[in-house]
Amino acid sequence: MFIDAMGLILAENRRLSLGELTSKRAQAALPFAGRYRLIDFMLSNLVNTGISRVGVVTFNKYRSLMDHLGSGKAWDLSRKESGLFILPPNAQSDSLSSSGDIGDMTAVLDLLRTSHWTHVLVCGANNVFTTTFDDFYKRHVDAGADVSFLYDTDGAEANRSATVLTTDKAGWVKEILLSPESRAGMKVSLDVMLLRRQLLIELLSDAIARGEHVLSLDRILRRHTHLRILAQPFEGVCLRIHSVESYFAATMRVLEKPVRKSLFWSALPVYTKVKDEAPSHYCCGCEVSNSMISDGCRIHGRVEDSMVFRAVTIGARSSLKNCIVFQDAYISEGCELENVILDKACFLRPGVKLVGQAAYPVVIGKGAVV
Amino acid sequence: MARNDIVAMILAGGQGSRLGALTKHLAKPAVPFGGRYRIIDFPLSNCSNSGISTVGVLTQYQPLVLNTYIGNGQPWDLDRNDGGAFILPPYQKSSRSDWYKGTANAIHQNADFIDGYDPKCLLVLSGDHIYKMDYAKMLRAHFDRNADATIAVIEVPWEETSRFGIMETDADGRIVDFQEKPAKAKSNLASMGIYIFTWDVLKKALQEDEDDPKSSNDFGKDVIPRMMAAGANLQTYRFSGYWKDVGTVESLWSANMDILDRPDDLNLFDRSWRIYSRNPVKPAHYVARGARLQNTCLTDGDIIEGEVDHSVLFHSVVVEAGAIVKDSVLMPGAVVQAGAYVQKAIVGAGAVIGKKARIGFASVGSSPYLSRICSDDITVIERGLQIRAKADIPGNCMVEWRDDLSEGNVVERRNPVR
Repeated sequence: MFIDAMGLILAENRRLSLGELTSKRAQAALPFAGRYRLIDFMLSNLVNTGISRVGVVTFNKYRSLMDHLGSGKAWDLSRKESGLFILPPNAQSDSLSSSGDIGDMTAVLDLLRTSHWTHVLVCGANNVFTTTFDDFYKRHVDAGADVSFLYDTDGAEANRSATVLTTDKAGWVKEILLSPESRAGMKVSLDVMLLRRQLLIELLSDAIARGEHVLSLDRILRRHTHLRILAQPFEGVCLRIHSVESYFAATMRVLEKPVRKSLFWSALPVYTKVKDEAPSHYCCGCEVSNSMISDGCRIHGRVEDSMVFRAVTIGARSSLKNCIVFQDAYISEGCELENVILDKACFLRPGVKLVGQAAYPVVIGKGAVV
Repeated sequence: MARNDIVAMILAGGQGSRLGALTKHLAKPAVPFGGRYRIIDFPLSNCSNSGISTVGVLTQYQPLVLNTYIGNGQPWDLDRNDGGAFILPPYQKSSRSDWYKGTANAIHQNADFIDGYDPKCLLVLSGDHIYKMDYAKMLRAHFDRNADATIAVIEVPWEETSRFGIMETDADGRIVDFQEKPAKAKSNLASMGIYIFTWDVLKKALQEDEDDPKSSNDFGKDVIPRMMAAGANLQTYRFSGYWKDVGTVESLWSANMDILDRPDDLNLFDRSWRIYSRNPVKPAHYVARGARLQNTCLTDGDIIEGEVDHSVLFHSVVVEAGAIVKDSVLMPGAVVQAGAYVQKAIVGAGAVIGKKARIGFASVGSSPYLSRICSDDITVIERGLQIRAKADIPGNCMVEWRDDLSEGNVVERRNPVR
């Protein structure tokens, strides 16, 4: 379908923190579901909608993100005219502030001004779902809205700092609430917004003029009460990732059949960086149950209710239950792990025992030798 | 490696008729192998890893799958500004037009393409072997010995020499005699079908071969003997390591099993020499509660609810609960439905084994699909076929599409394969 829009992904939600998992990487670069990083889902959604220019707005810690995205080829976004634009903060910006925050918006403005698409889809990267924005776009245009928000009502999963919308019966937004106390049953934003490019330029320029340098559109929009803002419901499965606990819970939900189906088998491909790992080898004596495992692994031991990323070795007589193991981890023989998140390239010596709680998993930092 | 040192040409036009239904819709080099590869990924990755950046792929028989698979060569890093991967089918010329008449003729017809890169040497590869090899080392040996042609050789068991082109060499490795599939071999050094030629010398030899009306235009049968007779400096390059011709049903099956039983021989996990392939864009594979896996390879998109033992599964394969798969190769998108039993089978892409159907349960039995191409109790299912529920197919069958779909036929229908 033809969509007259470009995309803008905000790679970092500064109201959220995922502790050690994002101490060395942008939130959008957080590994998820075995072979992806969070940003893959929104990038794929945009590409599957037919959008060919995407800006990725980063704040800091963007090295892992740049390494992951490269030229954008894996998402078909290595293009001549359009394609992928990574927008790190510009420390030499003309902006007045000398804080580390400056320049988010000036780089975005440059990209917006040099684009020709009428609309912009502004998205976060912390919510995982698979869809196209065709219907969202069509309803927005048909209704003559200035801005459209995508929301769902699964407030229980939302975080404390979520953006909540109150609307009239037709779905027009009456109020945008930031971090309200009660969220159950309310319309919680999925951090997907659609608006005219020209309007976005005006809003951002205005915000800069008022001394704001952090791109937070829902905050900015609260000031512009004259705008017609439409709230549109999202009906599919959405996993919200805003803390270590919600990350852990979301991963476990991916193992459920309806969630797997909705994310991966809807006929819309989810693209990610290609690694060319060999097929995984399930060796004699392994026992695997209700788990997702990626390519390049060697499994000798027991794996239950777990998510295993690429090129992981699990030694004989080792046992994993409710674990998330990032790529290149090596688990020696006779280890016992329960409710553990093992970051990239960790090495566990033989016989290591690590037990966390389901509601509070143990996180072992990147490259740790235990 | 300097760009004009060498151009590689992969002979990928062969039908591979000994693979029966597996090569009905695609050329042999495009046959899936090893869980996530096609046979041609091996020579292509070897080229890329050896630093060779210009690779021509000569296609003729059923080229469509191969064409779309190779595309612009990007999965092998062969999308280059100068050079890259090129599909080279036979083409119409102003005076006369020909299919490729033989391996040597295929190169001869593309001499202009090769001249366009002005290479010192030409590497000629076949698209039907599984191996990892650094062609740069072979090229160095070619230069060091000032050879006109260098042929890669491997020691084979003496009792198998009659299946190969056998090279007899002097102490320094120079070829003194050459026998094609000899009854009584004088050496056990077999040609691997990997040649480096000094391009100027080869160009002349190809023209002479072309001018000889009696020639079958084949490298092994015609060009090499002719060069030897003319006193050219023909050298061998010794290779040791995993190398397997996968031209028959049995050898294709056993090469797949080698990945399970001798994983260190080919070592697909070696990060210093990766084998690249086009990515299927599927999620990580899922192993359900109650599934059982033993000595098996899985890749992206597989969903396993049943029991899989000693098998190689390609992407997006589904094994439903209660199904049992043993000693088999399941190609992309194959489905084994609940309660089915599959043993020693090569199941083509997108084929569906119906509920409680049995394949290879009885290794010997009668079936209209019994085939001389199949041996060692291996059964092959053509891609896209839907096998009827409760069908019973013994070993050594080549189950292909036939128009007759009466009750007695184990094939129920044919599903489209993407």
